[in-house]
Formats: sequence, C-alpha cells, structure tokens
Amino acid sequence: MKKLIAGAVLLGASTMAFAQPGCGVGSMIWKGQSGVAPHVLAATTNGTLGNQTFGMTTGTLGCQTNQAVQSMAMYMDSNIDKVARDMSRGTGENLDTLAVLLGINEADRDEFRATLQDNFAAIFPNSETTSGEAVDAIVALLEQNESLSKYVAA
Amino acid sequence: MGFTLRIGQAAIWLACSTAWAQADVPSLPEDLHQHPDWLTLGHYHPKAIGNGYLSQADDPAFFLSEQGKSSPEAELQATLNAILQPGEGNEHARCRFPARDAWLRKQLDLPDEKPSCPEYDDWFSTLNTEKVTLVFAASYLNSPSSMFGHTFLRLDPPQNTGETDLLLANTISYAADAAEHDSELLFAYRGIFGGYPGITSIQPYYEMIRLYNDIEHRDLWEYTLNLKQEEVDTLLAHTWEIQDKNFDYYFFDENCAYRLLALIDAARPGTDLLAEVSTHAIPSDTVRWVRDAGLIEQVHYRPSAATSVAHSLESLPAEHRDIAAAMANGFVEVDSDEVNALSEAARARLLDATYDYVRYQSEAENWPRAHAAPLSHQLLIARSALDHDGPVPEVPVPTIRDDQGHDTLRLSLGAGQLAGAEFTELTVRAAYHDLLDPPAGYRPGAQLQFMRLDARLYHPNNELQIEQVVGVEIRSLSPRDAFFSPISWQVGFGGRRTDTATRRVFTPYLEGGAGGSWNLGTHTQAFAVATADLEIDDDIRRGYDFAPGADLGVLHQNNHFSALAGVKAKAWIVSSQHRQDQLYVEGNWHIGREFSLFARFTREDHYDRYQSTWKAGLHAYF
Repeated sequence: MKKLIAGAVLLGASTMAFAQPGCGVGSMIWKGQSGVAPHVLAATTNGTLGNQTFGMTTGTLGCQTNQAVQSMAMYMDSNIDKVARDMSRGTGENLDTLAVLLGINEADRDEFRATLQDNFAAIFPNSETTSGEAVDAIVALLEQNESLSKYVAA
Repeated sequence: MGFTLRIGQAAIWLACSTAWAQADVPSLPEDLHQHPDWLTLGHYHPKAIGNGYLSQADDPAFFLSEQGKSSPEAELQATLNAILQPGEGNEHARCRFPARDAWLRKQLDLPDEKPSCPEYDDWFSTLNTEKVTLVFAASYLNSPSSMFGHTFLRLDPPQNTGETDLLLANTISYAADAAEHDSELLFAYRGIFGGYPGITSIQPYYEMIRLYNDIEHRDLWEYTLNLKQEEVDTLLAHTWEIQDKNFDYYFFDENCAYRLLALIDAARPGTDLLAEVSTHAIPSDTVRWVRDAGLIEQVHYRPSAATSVAHSLESLPAEHRDIAAAMANGFVEVDSDEVNALSEAARARLLDATYDYVRYQSEAENWPRAHAAPLSHQLLIARSALDHDGPVPEVPVPTIRDDQGHDTLRLSLGAGQLAGAEFTELTVRAAYHDLLDPPAGYRPGAQLQFMRLDARLYHPNNELQIEQVVGVEIRSLSPRDAFFSPISWQVGFGGRRTDTATRRVFTPYLEGGAGGSWNLGTHTQAFAVATADLEIDDDIRRGYDFAPGADLGVLHQNNHFSALAGVKAKAWIVSSQHRQDQLYVEGNWHIGREFSLFARFTREDHYDRYQSTWKAGLHAYF
C-alpha cells in the first residue's frame, strides 16, 4: 500500500516543496482554472507545466499523520471539484480512487461510498469549503464508523 | 606542494584503474556498434550529409565517451568499460544506464547479477508497471494549437488487486521546456526551428486528464500495448536513461510523439517505428503506425468534459433541458417545485447534467465564481439527498476512432474548365483534413489543411500554372445552441491566383473570418461568417488589396457524402474597388475512407462580368 501511495503522488511532486499534506488548508472548491492555462499552446504541444499541482498552503488545521490520509489530502487538493461531484452521486471513478488511496477493502467500499454521499452536507458545508476542511470532515466521519474507522487510524 | 602531490596520486590511480579495465574488458565484436538495438538505445541516426551516425541526444550526460554524440563505436566501448568497473551505487554506469547494461551483457554473455542501485530500484518499484498504454489526446479544432493531437505513455499498475487505480498511474511525456513568458508566436518559431530543450518527464495520469480532458476539452483514446513484462521493464530502464536528458524539441518531427516511438522501439527490438517518420510525425499518424505494427491490445475511450456534458444534456428530455438551462442561469431555484415534482431518477439526471454544465461554463466561459460556486454547492447538496445511482448516461464510443479516419496525405487528380478553358489539375496535400473529406474519425465542422499545392495544366496553350499554395488553412464551424455559444472562425495564408481584370496573377494572401453556425439536423449546419482578405502583389495596382466580406452557407457531412454550398461576397476596397460575388456548390462522394470523388462548381461576378468554373476528379488518401 505504501508503495502505491508513493507512486501515486510523490513522483509527480518529487521536485516540489510542499508542506506536510493533510496539514494544510488545501485548495478551495470551485475556484476555477484561472492561472492553470496561461500558456495554452505550450501545454497543448507538450510544454512542461510550471506545476502548481501540489501547491498546498500550510494552515493551522489538525495535521494528519496517517500516510493514507495524507495521500487522500493531496489527491483532493488537485481534484476537489470532481471528488465532490462523485461524492454527491455516491459513485464515480474519483470516489474509487479515494477508496484505493485509503486502502479500503472491496467489502467495505459500498459502505464508504454511502457514508460520504449521505454526509455530503457535513463534508462540504458551504461553497467556500477547502479540500483540507473536507479531508478533516471525512476523517472525522470515518472515525465514527465501525467498519471504516480502521482505515484512518493515526 | 601538497596539491601537486595529490594530483600525482590521482594520476597514478587513474592510470592504474585504466590498466585494470583494459586487462579485464572482453573485446567487442567488430560490428556490434552498428547493431540496430545499440543504435536505438543511443538514439543514433545516419547523418544527413556524409557517412557516420549522430545521436539525437543533446546532452553530455547521456554519453560516457566524449565522442559519444557522433561515434556509436566509441560510446559502446566506453559503455562496456564503465559497466565492468567494480562497485555499484547510483553513480555507477550500470545504475545510470540499466537498459544498455542489460543489452550488452546479453550480447557478450557476461554475468548479470543485478547491482544495487538505490535510486533506480526505488523509482522502478514505485512505477510498479505491468502494462504500457499509449494515450492520444484528440485534436479540438477550436484551439489551433491542439491541431496535431498529442500523445503520451501511461504506465499501468497490475489491475487485478483492487489496490491500484488507473487515475493514479504515472505517465511519461516528452515535452518542450518552454519558458512561461514566451509568447505563442515565439513558441511556434522555436518549436519549428529548434531552440527548446525537450525533457522527458513523469506525471500522474489524473493531472493529464485534468489538463487535456477538463481544461482543453480533448477526448482521450487509450491504446494499451501488448508489450510483455520483460519489454515493459526494458522500456522503463531506457526511460530512466533518457529521463532529464536534453533532446532538442522540434515541433514537426522530433516532437512529443517521436520520442515515445523511440521508447517503444527500445522496448521491442526490431519494431523500428521511427523508420516511418519522414518529414513530420503527426501524433495521430504515429498512433496508426503503432496500430499497424500490431502493438495494440485494447482500446478505451475517455470523453472530455465537454463531450460528456454535451451528451448528458442531450440525453435529457427536452422539457428537462429547458429546466437545466434555467437553473444554470439562475432563473429557476434548485429546490423549486418544478424540480421537486420530478421523479427521483429524473431529478438525479437533471441535477447531474446541470452541475456538469455549470462547471464546464465556469472553466470554458469563465462564469463568475460568485454565481457558479453557490449554485454548484446547492446542486450537489440536492443531488446527495437522492439515492439514485442508476446508470449515468455513458457517452457512446465513436464507431470510428481517430486513428481509423482517412489517412492524412491526399493526392487528387481532376479536370475542369475555367471560363471555357479546359485544364487538368493535380493537387498534393501533406495534411490533414478538410470539410468535405470523409468525416469519420474527425471532428464535424473542423478543417485543417497544411501544405497543399494545386497545379493546373491548361490545354488550349499547354501552359502549366500554380493555381494555389496553401500554407495553413484552419476552419472551425461549431454549432451554437441554448447551452453552448462557440464562435466559428477561420484563418489561412498562402498564395493564389487573383483576377486583375486583365489577367490572373499569383499573389500571396492572408484571410480570416469569424461568425456563427447553427445545426439544421444531425449532420447539417448553416453558417454565417464575416471575412477579411488581404492580397499583396506588385501586379495589384496599389501593391495590395483588402476586402471585407461575408460567407453564408450550408454544410452537410456524412460517411457517404459531404456537401458545401453557399454565397461569398467580398468588396475589394483599396485597389480594384470592385465587388466579387461568388456562388459555390461542391460535393464529395466517399468510397470507403480511401477515396472520394469530388465535384465543384462556382459562378462568379467580378469586374462586372460573369465567369463559371467547374472541376471534378478523384481524391486518394495515403
């Protein structure tokens, strides 16, 4: 599992100095893409990206020490719009990816999806929610769940 | 004094180690340095002028010999010496060049216990690759820079464990390392004539999806290659060798697609995909070569955000589509009675489609966050209360893939008549597709012509004339509807015959236009475009002429027949001061995707006289 997590996120971020993930505010949902494609041509024809992929801002929210949760935090930071969409539907590949990152067994995945969908309003209380806040809310939810708490144990 | 002494010691040590190396190094077979596998691993190609080879690598770190760039032989000898040095660790040649090491040991029957290479071993196991997938980002014509398409490789982890996920897979790209502040023009210039370093880089797949699928609205085709585990490992080993090494980037040939072909060649010796490259490597063509080499095992289609949202809106019943448009624009509340009256399943679909549309508009049309974010939040809150997780309307996979569309080199032979004078016409077009070519595998309403030459032989006097040279010609007709309002546009330059009232002279031209297009049916659209034409030539009275104008027409495209008809009006306002009005009708009848029969008729009123041109013939695609 650890190998996978590293493969998932660390390679892409290897040259970037990021603060301890799961420890930051993360990116705000629905912030739009302005600034991501300032050089569309270069991007299109394969310019390397001046990559702000994992530009997580450090903040004061509780730091996560669980490595799986850290990986989830990094993924959510980049993909929060799509994660929120899939969560509201209770299905979708981004939700599957979260399950993989948290190492959730196949047997527990229905429960995982349902928990996140049912508690969508608690995870994203308003349109200013950041990915860091959403991660903390997800961890808090899973901790209270009998079959899912083991995946987020510190 | 101490300094000199140390140099002396170093010199002795160097001499000794060289002596040692020479003693133990087995001799190389005489022509091993010309082995195709070695040339592939060193990116050697025969010199354009003179004998010998030159490597495409532009980085001293890629070579172990000082003559390595131009001498495969010296590089092979240096490689052999280096890999036989005792020791191991990150800086050892065996760790820096694992693919060369493995190949050479096999050729010479040398013992092959794996050395310890902490960085490489770590990298290799992290990539955890079982399969390699070639991903093709389809062109999206409203963005000219995407016209050639784009390719990269995805490294797929084992899929049967439930512990891996393709979104988290890594990808290999070869990219021009352009500075952020370079303008598009500078980028194009340096891309064509060289000047950008090209770097091989690794990024997670979800980043590529975000860039190509979500931001640039390009569909992705995923071609899983049938490389065996051993070949996959070789591909990775060679990727390690070229990673972070500079290979100068050239837009047309040594581009993103080219370097990936070299990697596949290295993975499966004898494939020789690079032999297919002549003057240019269009990514969609490179996919065909990979397909024709029998390398593809499985194909998967990943529609872009734009394709998906258009499809989910189309799948809604008409009255729900109206509600979606009203909700997205803030005229109907998300929790209004109108919405709540619908069945759960219908509401789920409506909310899903509306959310995707609002996100699309925010990305593509910069809808203000103050409107879009609270609305997005309300939509998802409402959606999360609905349990319906029935099938999301899946975008149907196009029956003809991009790589199955007609080939891009076109040769045409035709005959016709201009104001009574008969001619035979030969046309060569390097690339790519025009509105009347077989549409399967291409975007409807999209045209990109690149390097086209029309030559005519007039029979009455046996005179050979260049009729037109097209440098680049792009047209994008994108229909507008209640949800999407794209601009249709066109731009082109080249040289063409123009009428000066007394004769037809060849003149450079630049043209452009912008307007709108509307669907009349599934395969038919009507368009209205305001145009501008500029011609520059000393045969024109004031040296140049300029014409604002309009082009109104109808385009029909289906797999058997394509037709374009309309009227163009131009008012030349600088030199000739004459109107030029034209009626045009043209049609192509497609015979498979290899041939089209074409016919074109125009009637023109210029300099107060009427003139008709017609021609007909055959297009063949190669």
